[in-house]
Amino acid sequence: MKRAGTYSGILSGGISGKTGPHLLPLARIKKIMKQSSDDVKMISGEAPIVFSKACELLIEEITKRAWNITVQGKRRTICKEDVASAVITTDTFDFLVNLVSDSANSQESPRP
Amino acid sequence: MIDEQDKLLPIANVGRIMKHILPRNAKISKEAKETMQECVSEFISFITSEASDKCHKENRKTVNGDDICWALSSLGFDNNSEVMLKYLHKFREYERQKAEQNKASSSEEKDDVTSYRLGLQPDTSTPLEFRVLDKGGSSSANPK
Repeated sequence: MKRAGTYSGILSGGISGKTGPHLLPLARIKKIMKQSSDDVKMISGEAPIVFSKACELLIEEITKRAWNITVQGKRRTICKEDVASAVITTDTFDFLVNLVSDSANSQESPRP
Repeated sequence: MIDEQDKLLPIANVGRIMKHILPRNAKISKEAKETMQECVSEFISFITSEASDKCHKENRKTVNGDDICWALSSLGFDNNSEVMLKYLHKFREYERQKAEQNKASSSEEKDDVTSYRLGLQPDTSTPLEFRVLDKGGSSSANPK
């Protein structure tokens, strides 16, 4: 039996709002989309589905890069600094640089 | 704090996707997963804003899959964009065929859907050689 790929994943599960074949919940994706901008009023049904795949690819890419850093440090546990480094060293992820820097900064003890 | 969670995708799902491409002995700290959650939400917002701007300029109200693909490409996610377009086209193809299936007949739906799920497409261009097993006794595939 063929391993379920992207296409057959859709066929077996349909496009209902269930997490089903999609690894990420479509309703939540839609919610996040709506919060992104006041201009976003209507979203087609397929947009969250496209995002579900796009986010999966993004997570995989960042994770792979983070893991390389983890291994270089002779460790087996990916820590958040590895994720941050993966983001900072990749041009496409420039838009995330502030986010991961903020995360890193918030770890430091806040000034009284 | 519960509101915060609404802005993020569930940590379990995110963690699962991360684990999927790592070797078995790899571990992921909770903070790493949390950071990833935030990155994904930011990604969605970032791409959506771009797609939404485009719709706005073109006087369209609905952000669709093509807009997302365009935004992905425009913002440097070229590889992803191609994959996404293929994914989107296949999805639309599936939707179209499903709609056609529903129109054809609802009684034989089950058989068709089953074979469809296996990735086989019912061949309606040539008359079906009826195997005796046919259940619905339908002859809609036999053009007259």
